[in-house]
Amino acid sequence: MRLGRYEVSLEPRPDPPTIYTVLTAVAAILLALVLSSVLFLSAETTLLGAYRTVFSYAFFNPHGLLATVQRSIYLLFCTYAFLVPLRAGLWNIGLPGQVFAGGLGAFAVPFFLGRSPQGVLAPWMLIGLMVAAAAAAGAAVGGFAGTLRARLQVNEILVTMMLNSILFWLVAYMIKEGGPFMGETAEGESFSLPAPLYAPLWGGVPFTALLALGAAVFLDVLFAKTALGYRIRALGENPAAARYGGINPAALSLLVFLLGGAFAGVAGYHTFTAIPGIYKIPGNYGFYGDLSFYGIISALIARRSALGAVPIAVLFGGLSLGARFAQGALRLPFGVDYALLGLLMMTFVASHVLYSFRLTWRRIPSEAVQPVPTELPEG
Amino acid sequence: MWELLARSLDASAIFLLAALGELVNQRSGVLNVGLEGLMLFGGTAAFILTQTTGSFLLGFVGALTIGGLLGGAHGFFSITLRGDQVVSGMGLWILSFGLTTFLGSPYTGPLGLGRIPSVLGLSPFFLLGVALVATTWLVLFRTGLGLAIRSAGENPAAAEASGIPVVAIRYLCVAFGGVLAGLAGATYTLSYNPVWTYNFLMGWGFVSLALVFFSMWNPWILLAGASLFGVMWQLSLSPELVLPGVLSRYVWRAVPFAITIPILVIISTSWFRTRWGLAKPEALGRPYAKG
Amino acid sequence: MEPILAARGITKRFPGVVACDHVDLDVGAGEVHAILGQNGAGKTTLMNILFGLVQPDEGTLYLRGQRVHFRSPHDALAQGIGMVHQTRRLVSAHTVLENIVLGHPRVRGFLRLGGARAEVEALCARYGFTVDLGARVWQLSEGERQWVEILKALYRGAKILILDEPTSVLTPPEVKTLLAGLQALVRDQGVTVLLVTHKLPIVKAASHRVTVLRSGKVAACLRTAEATEEALVQHMVGRDVAFRMPDRPAASGRPLLHVERLSAFNDKGLPALRGVSFSLREGDILGIAGVTGNGQEELAQVLAGLRPAASGRVHYDGRDVTRLSPLDRWRLGIGYIPAERAEVASIAAFYLTENTALNYHFDAAFTRRGLLDDAGLRRLTRHILSTFHVKAPNEYARAQHLSGGNLQRLILGRVLSRAPRLLIAQLPTQGLDVEATAFVRARLLDAKAEGTAVVLISEDLDEILSLSDWVAPIYEGRFVAVLPRADADAERVGAMMAGLLGNGAVR
Repeated sequence: MRLGRYEVSLEPRPDPPTIYTVLTAVAAILLALVLSSVLFLSAETTLLGAYRTVFSYAFFNPHGLLATVQRSIYLLFCTYAFLVPLRAGLWNIGLPGQVFAGGLGAFAVPFFLGRSPQGVLAPWMLIGLMVAAAAAAGAAVGGFAGTLRARLQVNEILVTMMLNSILFWLVAYMIKEGGPFMGETAEGESFSLPAPLYAPLWGGVPFTALLALGAAVFLDVLFAKTALGYRIRALGENPAAARYGGINPAALSLLVFLLGGAFAGVAGYHTFTAIPGIYKIPGNYGFYGDLSFYGIISALIARRSALGAVPIAVLFGGLSLGARFAQGALRLPFGVDYALLGLLMMTFVASHVLYSFRLTWRRIPSEAVQPVPTELPEG
Repeated sequence: MWELLARSLDASAIFLLAALGELVNQRSGVLNVGLEGLMLFGGTAAFILTQTTGSFLLGFVGALTIGGLLGGAHGFFSITLRGDQVVSGMGLWILSFGLTTFLGSPYTGPLGLGRIPSVLGLSPFFLLGVALVATTWLVLFRTGLGLAIRSAGENPAAAEASGIPVVAIRYLCVAFGGVLAGLAGATYTLSYNPVWTYNFLMGWGFVSLALVFFSMWNPWILLAGASLFGVMWQLSLSPELVLPGVLSRYVWRAVPFAITIPILVIISTSWFRTRWGLAKPEALGRPYAKG
Repeated sequence: MEPILAARGITKRFPGVVACDHVDLDVGAGEVHAILGQNGAGKTTLMNILFGLVQPDEGTLYLRGQRVHFRSPHDALAQGIGMVHQTRRLVSAHTVLENIVLGHPRVRGFLRLGGARAEVEALCARYGFTVDLGARVWQLSEGERQWVEILKALYRGAKILILDEPTSVLTPPEVKTLLAGLQALVRDQGVTVLLVTHKLPIVKAASHRVTVLRSGKVAACLRTAEATEEALVQHMVGRDVAFRMPDRPAASGRPLLHVERLSAFNDKGLPALRGVSFSLREGDILGIAGVTGNGQEELAQVLAGLRPAASGRVHYDGRDVTRLSPLDRWRLGIGYIPAERAEVASIAAFYLTENTALNYHFDAAFTRRGLLDDAGLRRLTRHILSTFHVKAPNEYARAQHLSGGNLQRLILGRVLSRAPRLLIAQLPTQGLDVEATAFVRARLLDAKAEGTAVVLISEDLDEILSLSDWVAPIYEGRFVAVLPRADADAERVGAMMAGLLGNGAVR
């Protein structure tokens, strides 16, 4: 591009240092926050007041903080669900569908085995079974896309997106209008979880928090240190080279989708059966599916590091909750948390550009500027 | 019966317009998986503009403009910066999904204006779509511009060496794809179902994207596919017309999505690929660097 | 002689290299002007500048005495400069005619292919060249494709024709036809030809004058008739280079590989390998000579397990390995060096240690309970860097920052460090400079001396003849013959590669 006498161009940045990775991530998030001031313009308070409302609810209000932690756990599992296939170069945008499948899987356990507390199995066994069923259901949905990808190279973006819609309507069928999981009293939501099957809490935080943190360590070790992780990364960077090196792309494509789907399934378990005040698949379950897209952004911004995604997921969890709270408190239009999602994605893409390119300019030598006529004489 | 068919063709028009634009930009070598996002933005812009001004024309102009701009943004990232086209497309989709939910929510509800005039119950958009299919086919396969577009998508280095301005051609095509996606969104919110709710499309854009793959990049096959899916979509909304009392209505809603999967599988088999796979633009999704 | 095209002080920098450094060039009207230089000497960059694909940082171009500035090939084409690139610039899914008219200024609005067809047919008739204008380009041979590109340039009215390494993918007879055709163009039609090559015989056979480039600078500009081969080599390389390979005694060992009527399909699902049979002993090198696209790639991939065999058998060390996975073959001691160094044999964004792991991630000596042995891989990589003279800052450089020659040394070192019993080497020296080529060939001979059986696939007949114990010219998916080295002379093998000689002595 020419600006006056200067040639301005974006050139690929050869090898960005690690610190740059962190800086661009922080810059992307800050920029999204600055841009989101537009959303608060109609608020009945100053801009600073609006931000204070968001942050103080999310991180300093005891009730809000607890909700932030709950949501962060959910977002973390969604992050892993996207991150694992991404490392193999595959896009799992089927998070909502796999989350729904996880929810259905978790509720299938009390539905078949222990709707009444005096069931055959001890509650802790049932809870274990619920986690396993949720993970298995998520893995089955993810694995379906993974199998098609592995065997026939079917585009995984389209398949996972279709599965999102299919699972969305399947949940509707299960919990609404006389569906099998429909609640006895409430129309349009699932039956409530029997109290003994509530996930154990420590100070209000469910045990899934431990699972989430453990998974972060597990994933970072997997990708940094193990032969399996190496194979997945090699496949993601260069499938042809991976095949040449004796790596089996089909098996790994399936594996990453099974693993990713299982994480999303656990996210579904967590959000529908481990958060005090919910303990059912609510009528607005679609909202949780939408929220899962925050997982895509936090995986992308964390540049594939699972532990790096932890603070980002906490921040996003807090922001999305705080924004929803501010929306009520300051009478903002609906959807501030959605808008934030969009802005974050936009600034991520922008930061991606800054990360991989640098702006260069140089003076154009004066003699080189003369153009040449380009019209060809007829004939 | 005619009413159902007319309604189905209205639905087809939306699939058709969106997919036709995507077909053209894929023919030039650019994949835009954010099609749904462009449609959401176009549809929301059209709805807001039309409701506040009372003018359908302004709504459509707004939708086309915003679609073209977003298409151009995708072009900047994927053509000029040679970035990953999937990252950019996904980015556009989530951006649009988030922002339209916020921007549109004050307007939630029906449009509250008269319907766009129709011929025998059939809105003009399907006819417009058919006309555009014919035009697109003519341009792609019978003109120099079309040869340039197809070459840019098959082998941009060869096209550039022949003096074809590949970058300009690709920009033109992504902008065209964006404009048609905007038009498709506006057709949804102004004509097909003039009620704004958040994320009103719920997968229409992704089905359109799949239709492009089904069409083997041929506008006429695309027309057939879009018509079929329009009918299927409408039937899934009122299954009692075909199979009254069988299965919950919610299960039927999942059927059009479920059907795309086996079709995707069939076109991905090696049998199909070796027979028909040559149609796929060879440079699709690959950034092009000069020299 | 009045120069028709001249360059003065052309300089082009790319990150890390100066591709062209104040290059001056004078091309006379109606001559064949050769541009000679090693890979990386800046030939292609210079030609891309003359054609407007790349803009110089400094310097000016003069066409018929007028200063010109090309912003894109469009400008160059409009001034009557046409270019035939080293890699084919044709749309393989389109017809020959569509390719020829693509980008022509008259192809605006509706396509009128009928008129164009008549004109192109007239051109063909004038140059005595026949090609089916309705055929799809992917159905043509390499030689035909090259003529399509030349026709295309002529159809655009090119008076100056730039040919970048035109002979690299042609069989010897096709090269002869090409050079004769070019000379006819120059003599009868007054066309000026710029011939870019790194092959001395081509320069000697076809050009009037030659400009030698070395490291981006002009090393010499000579009349071809007055230049000796030795002088040209010296200008090209900058010093004397001994080409000779040491003679080694042939030490055939036990039979190792036995291939029976092996067939395979290419990516388009068409038969590419049609019933190839041969046997190979330990310590023997089988040189498969042929022009790319005659089934060599498929043969190498089937042997490496990367492509399924359609029919036939592969026996290795007494067992049937036809259906074994690539991983199992690595474990059994079958090593593979693919032609695509950057695309297949290495991972650009990975560290060199991680690239080493590509052939070791499954090796029990380098994994412990599923964990990769980082320290061991680092030691191994350092060892490869030093013994194979890889120029890299350290083992944590990324593969994308290595030059082609250094990357190939790394890949070769990595594969050979596994001490394979069978090595499949596909175009191992393609695109390498003289030094790296000599190094790679010497390492292949070392491996042979240690008893490795080598399947060497090459387009370079000299390479095949100087390394192999057995020579198998391949044409359209079949071995024309399998000759002992003593019976394989360049003339005969060259004709077989071109499909001109039928079955000779099949072993």
